[in-house]
Amino acid sequence: MTERIKQISEAFGAKISGAETLGDLNNIKIKYLGKNGEVTELLKNLKNCLAEERPIIGKKINELRQRIENSINEREKNLAEKAKLKKLEEEEIDVTLSLAHKDTTGALHPLTITKNMFINIFAGMGFEVKEGPEIELDYYNFQLLNIPADHPSRDMQDTFYITDKILLRTQTSAVQARVMLEEKPPIRIICPGKVFRADDDATHSPMFHQMEGLVIDEKDKVTLGDLKGCLDEFARKFFGEDSRIRLRPSYFPFTEPSVEMDVSCFMCKGKGCRLCKNTGWIEILGAGIVNPIVLDNCGIDSKKYSGYAFGIGIERCAMLKFGIPDIRILFENDIRFLRQYK
Amino acid sequence: MKVPFSWVKEFVDIDISAYELGNKLVAAGFEIEEYINLRDNIKNVIVGSVEEIEKHKDSDHLKICKINTGKEVLQIVTGADNVKKGDKVPVALDGAVLPDGKHIRKGELRGVLSNGMLCSGEELGLTEDDFPGAGVNGILILNSDVNVGDDVNDVIGNTDTVLDVAITANRPDCNSILGIAREIAAVLNKPLKMPDLSYEESNDEISDYISVENKNYKLCPRYMAKAVTDVVETQSPKIIRDRLKAVGIRPINNLVDVTNYVLTEIGQPMHAFDLENLAGHKIIIRNAEEGEKIIALDGKEYALKKEHLAICDAEKPVAIAGVMGGEYASIGLNTHTVILESARFARDSIRHTSREIGLHSDSSARYEKGIDFYSQELGLKRALSLFYKYNWGKIVSGEIDKCEKKPEQNSIEYDYREINDIIGVNLEKSEIIKILNRLEIKTSAKGDKLTSIIPLYREDIYGVNDLTEEVIRIYGYDVVKSRLISGCCGGKTEKQLSMEKIKNILIGKGVFETVSYAFVSPKSFDVLNLNKESYLRNAIEIWNPIGSDMSVMRTNLTFSMLKTLESNYKRGNKASRFFEIANTYIPKELPLSELPEEKAKLSLGFYGETENYYTLKEVLDDIFEIYGMEVKYKRANETFLHPGRSALIEYKDKLLGYIGECHPDILENLDMDERLYIAELDAETIAENGMAIKPFKAISKYQGMQRDLALIAPEKYPAAEILSAIKDVCTDILEKVEVFDIYTGGQIQKGKKSIAVKLSFRALEKTLKDDDVNEEIKKVLEELSGREIVLR
Repeated sequence: MTERIKQISEAFGAKISGAETLGDLNNIKIKYLGKNGEVTELLKNLKNCLAEERPIIGKKINELRQRIENSINEREKNLAEKAKLKKLEEEEIDVTLSLAHKDTTGALHPLTITKNMFINIFAGMGFEVKEGPEIELDYYNFQLLNIPADHPSRDMQDTFYITDKILLRTQTSAVQARVMLEEKPPIRIICPGKVFRADDDATHSPMFHQMEGLVIDEKDKVTLGDLKGCLDEFARKFFGEDSRIRLRPSYFPFTEPSVEMDVSCFMCKGKGCRLCKNTGWIEILGAGIVNPIVLDNCGIDSKKYSGYAFGIGIERCAMLKFGIPDIRILFENDIRFLRQYK
Repeated sequence: MKVPFSWVKEFVDIDISAYELGNKLVAAGFEIEEYINLRDNIKNVIVGSVEEIEKHKDSDHLKICKINTGKEVLQIVTGADNVKKGDKVPVALDGAVLPDGKHIRKGELRGVLSNGMLCSGEELGLTEDDFPGAGVNGILILNSDVNVGDDVNDVIGNTDTVLDVAITANRPDCNSILGIAREIAAVLNKPLKMPDLSYEESNDEISDYISVENKNYKLCPRYMAKAVTDVVETQSPKIIRDRLKAVGIRPINNLVDVTNYVLTEIGQPMHAFDLENLAGHKIIIRNAEEGEKIIALDGKEYALKKEHLAICDAEKPVAIAGVMGGEYASIGLNTHTVILESARFARDSIRHTSREIGLHSDSSARYEKGIDFYSQELGLKRALSLFYKYNWGKIVSGEIDKCEKKPEQNSIEYDYREINDIIGVNLEKSEIIKILNRLEIKTSAKGDKLTSIIPLYREDIYGVNDLTEEVIRIYGYDVVKSRLISGCCGGKTEKQLSMEKIKNILIGKGVFETVSYAFVSPKSFDVLNLNKESYLRNAIEIWNPIGSDMSVMRTNLTFSMLKTLESNYKRGNKASRFFEIANTYIPKELPLSELPEEKAKLSLGFYGETENYYTLKEVLDDIFEIYGMEVKYKRANETFLHPGRSALIEYKDKLLGYIGECHPDILENLDMDERLYIAELDAETIAENGMAIKPFKAISKYQGMQRDLALIAPEKYPAAEILSAIKDVCTDILEKVEVFDIYTGGQIQKGKKSIAVKLSFRALEKTLKDDDVNEEIKKVLEELSGREIVLR
């Protein structure tokens, strides 16, 4: 018996190390531990042993059985792990490949992106967003803004007319007049929108976008210093924290004093380059203290209140910000251009 | 306004460079468009001396010269025969530029190397009058005392810089050399030297020569005239010709040049009449008679209207006031006595006349900007002083000055602190007074109260804000300190945010935003094959469009979108999705008597291999779902949409827009062979919905049940109606119903289709049993059989 146990144990050792699949393993299990398996047979034959040998041999058989079971379990785990690794290996793909290109996300137009940047900056300073009609009365676009008929400054803006009283607004300033007539100070608004002028070349488009800003408050709260503070903040947020601005005198009929605001060139940091034509400064916008004549025209007492206003060209800022060389590209809507602003 | 640096220096002692002056003018409100260096007209031309001359072997007329340039001795071939050994001559070196734009390069002349060119006076743009010796036929021989190697510009005096100054519309007084000089004097804090105005008069009396009658003081507030007898017509002196040339005016003769000179220097347009040709020796300023004709100095005949102002003699118009003189009374070779006119005309009158008859001149351009009261007398005196100085005639004593009311200088009283309050600084009272006086705004103080007297030429100054600008622009804006705004309550309105949300949804669906022109071609309506009576054809026309393709305000966005799709496709872009949100302009009546309705629309356009009606509809349905809108799609019948693949979209029984494949006829109009999918919706209605907060719906914890039904329905029966019929008849345990298959042909009877729907049931408070669902299905089948829809 002892001899037989030894034989079986040795034969098992050879078999188990040769088992490569779960099937092999199952066959081994049946061969040794099955109903007619070799270890089962040994147990059946135990009754033929001498009674005094039985406990010892029985113990040996059980030890063998235990060993076989453990070995099989261990081997089984081993094989499952191997199979899993093999599967993972087989499932390998080229992780550098991509799907054929498709625009699964679109993009806002760069003019909208720029406009939104403006709105966010000024909304943070407490400006409300107002809109007005694009086809406008001469009255709001010109007359209330101190530009009577035949005023030479009408030549500054080539106006598209529809009738002698109705026109395509040439400036978002028209919204100013409407708001001043409707609301009481304090007023703090921005008015982005389309405007129209008869002009068409690389830097002018017959339709373009402006954003007007207007602040009306009691006189001591509105000075050129407040205007400068507001524009300073805008310049730093839009063109970069190290931007500086300078004001220089200019002329607009609806502001007095009137200024142009230049920002320090963000390309060369003011040293002088092609973008700023070697001046270190880039002209950005027109602004000024609201002409008291305009306040009075719009029913706001110019003795008590004062205001400042500014008008920013959205195309100009978008072109500067994104480095777009020709305004016409903005209105061609070529997908290859629009895709750049995802 | 072109300002030669040398000219303006006559009136102010300027001790800085033209470029430095330019920077100071920018800071004072005058942008410099350009610095024109007259030296740039002649580049790399120097003085050389002739050391040797020998004949060219292969030419009868060419000579080979050895020229000392101070640095080296160059061999130069010339064809001129007036050059002698020892002469000093202008030498154009290799790379030189001459006034006519010609570039000089070294090269070979008949096999002999020439390192440049010897120049004639003409080649340097000079006449004998400009420079002695320049008129000879041959090389310009320079004075022997000039230095070899010097720039020839210094020798001939071509060294000026011209500043091209931009003048804002409020400062017409600065459209003159004197006006700019006055600004410079204030900026540099230096005195202004007035031009010479002195002359002597003869014993004749002007009333013996001419009488003037002003019949319209409104359009001609002031008319001054002087007479000059025994006039001599000649060439103007070099200084006058040089200066006129520097500002871009061609010198003609002294009588023409003097008016142009005064126009440039003083800013006052003037006109000269030949007295002999003034019938009755009279000048009458009156409105033209309707249709009255005049041949102007340009040789063309103009018919005037009764609102146009004319300068007439006793019989006829002799000038179109402020615009151009007439040919008849113009000065010529035989003119003996000249009547000089110096007038102020209303700027809007000149502007109207000039535009209506289509005639523009330097004079009309100047009058349109506005001429002040101050200039008539100054201009006239300046012109006469030039007549006197150069002996061009005898000045008749006495003057004509037809002015209804001599204007008075305006004065403004204010507290000096008002100026500080506007700027937000604390300038001293004395500082403010000093600056204003520098600007010739005479300002005096009584305590804190200031009184400023505004010169007649400053018609732009009305009040304290205007004075504030004067103070700050001369003081400098650097003094203004930023003050940060306080308080905040701004931002976008809910509707504006909602509109933005539409854009963001679309971006997430792979759609790109476009921006297109608000005006389109009137032909766009034909491209869309719109019916003659379609309301979309009622477009607002622009009076003065820049082209017919941009002449009407769009009534729809679809055309613009089709153009965007077309241009992208034709540029070889294979597939794209676009949207635009913009206004359409719908008139209440035409022609417009009130502002039109401006409606924000959302337009979409898709094309490409993977696009179809449903890929576009899916995007719309997503928007409707997000905005909580239940819409109905109904078959559409629009001229520009495929009749079988398009729908009108209704929301709350109102038309919201349309969606569809583009009609093949339209593709033909666009010369395209790619299917396009378009939609246009009322964006405002959608945005308004975005503002509603959606109510909470409880989520069931229990298992649901699904049933599939295979139905046979009439082939054209819309699927959406089957689904809504099912929804209507079921109780609220019906969670969802959707179509998952449609099939025609095969075993399906002709004219019918098989449609498979999946119904999902779930109850909020229990797990459903078969019976619960069977009950629902029974109701569904009953309802459908009434619509000739049965189980397969």
